[in-house]
Amino acid sequence: MLAEQIANGVVVGGLYALVALGFTLVFGLLDKLNFAHGEVVTLAGFVALVAVQLGASVWLAIPIVIVVTGLSGLLIELLSFRAFTSKEGHSVSALSSFALGIVILEVVRLEYGAAPLNLAIPTTIYTSGISILGAPIPWVKLATLGISVVLMIGLHVVVGHTRLGRQIRAVGEAPTSAMLLGIHVTRVIQYVFVVASALAGISGLLIAMQGGFVSSEVGFTFALKGIAIMAIGGMGDLRGAVLAGLLIGIAEGIAIHYGLGGFSDVLVWLVMIAVLLIRPEGLLGGGRREVRA
Amino acid sequence: MAVLRATDVHLAYGPIRAVRGCTFHLDEGETVAIVGANGAGKTTLMRGLCGLLAPADGSIEVLGGPLAGRRPDELARDGLLHIPEGRGTISNLDVLDNLRLAYEIRPTTVGFEAAIEAVFARFPRLKERSDQRAGSLSGGEQQMLALARAIVNRPKVLLVDEPSLGLSPLMIGEVFRTLREFQEAGMSIMLVEQNVVKALKLAHRAYVLRQGEIVLEGKGGELAQKTEVLEAYLGSH
Repeated sequence: MLAEQIANGVVVGGLYALVALGFTLVFGLLDKLNFAHGEVVTLAGFVALVAVQLGASVWLAIPIVIVVTGLSGLLIELLSFRAFTSKEGHSVSALSSFALGIVILEVVRLEYGAAPLNLAIPTTIYTSGISILGAPIPWVKLATLGISVVLMIGLHVVVGHTRLGRQIRAVGEAPTSAMLLGIHVTRVIQYVFVVASALAGISGLLIAMQGGFVSSEVGFTFALKGIAIMAIGGMGDLRGAVLAGLLIGIAEGIAIHYGLGGFSDVLVWLVMIAVLLIRPEGLLGGGRREVRA
Repeated sequence: MAVLRATDVHLAYGPIRAVRGCTFHLDEGETVAIVGANGAGKTTLMRGLCGLLAPADGSIEVLGGPLAGRRPDELARDGLLHIPEGRGTISNLDVLDNLRLAYEIRPTTVGFEAAIEAVFARFPRLKERSDQRAGSLSGGEQQMLALARAIVNRPKVLLVDEPSLGLSPLMIGEVFRTLREFQEAGMSIMLVEQNVVKALKLAHRAYVLRQGEIVLEGKGGELAQKTEVLEAYLGSH
């Protein structure tokens, strides 16, 4: 039924948005694309798998994943961004982070192969739940949506209303002026990479939770959509990323309802082409380099 | 006591030496002007003093220690506020957030609210516009905001680069009145200006910079009398 597919679309759209927010934060701050971001999503699932295999409970695996993926952000910043100032152009960081992403992916594949692996998640979260407007919503989807919403609101509050957020917005717009105001620019950039990567990590956990398995494919799929959603929403605009993520998720749900599920991957790219033609700055973008909450 | 001292400083962009062998100082509580024609190296000098550009030769001491090895943001937290040409306000942030940024790196026990009251009492215009983006302010209002950051930040040394550039005569008067108040409050100020007459009137001492070298120095009032010499160095006004 349509309501059920729309509800699914909202949940998936929220996940798209979470991944897109990581791209958006880094892009708004540095005007650079972090192509390693998607593989942090993949990494998260496998870190959880390893943690559980080593005897950690599912609950303990969650903070472990957040810490490991957050730290991976520091590594990405150090290897693929720190050394390359704007003088080298933006393509060097893009290429370097692309290579780093593939390294992460291939290391995971070497160890665990390309086939999906099951996570021991209690099946009740899939089979029981609540009903909204006649549409059955299992606990897993409610939890995913709830966590996504909390993270989005949290990010909005941090970027829009805290000292770190002010510093992030200042560095995103004018790093030299920010430095003259006493802001430790490198530190702020590191914070952003940690936050963006930890968001990717939580997204990876939530994605794994949807089907109860981890797969090395998910990072690439979500990274592609995340980039498209960032572009549709407006580069650097956090609300734009959330809006575009939800719109694409819902559009996919509707497409699936009408038997056009196979078309849904084409849809996002067509929408991106159309939006860029009509509004190159994206739905909510201001056409400037900046981070907006 | 000097809060800032440059000894035989050379500053270069690649092979081009924009500042060559400058020696000067700023004493505590003093206002020093650096005047010179366009391209004399004034802005380069300021970039050197705040740590944005490392000297190719010579040494700089600020706030009682060598500048070498200290980043601009560390110096700013230690009390060296540089208001660059173009003002350095963050246009995407509103007026209040711009002031918060300046306050937060050097917070006081009285708190931000009290600090901001002093700003609004001095610049009622900024109070009216407190929730507007800095980028939407007029040039004069942006310069007010840039200077107002010094009120909440209370730097030990204030470097100001061309604060009157592009402003109306009315606003220029306001800028110099504000600098005079900072001076009277005991702030040490290094001012780079093209408006030589006003700069020399405000400054205790001044240096004339020409093609990267200091060619003249003296008390502000005395230099102001030497109109012919000044014109020879600065070009006619």
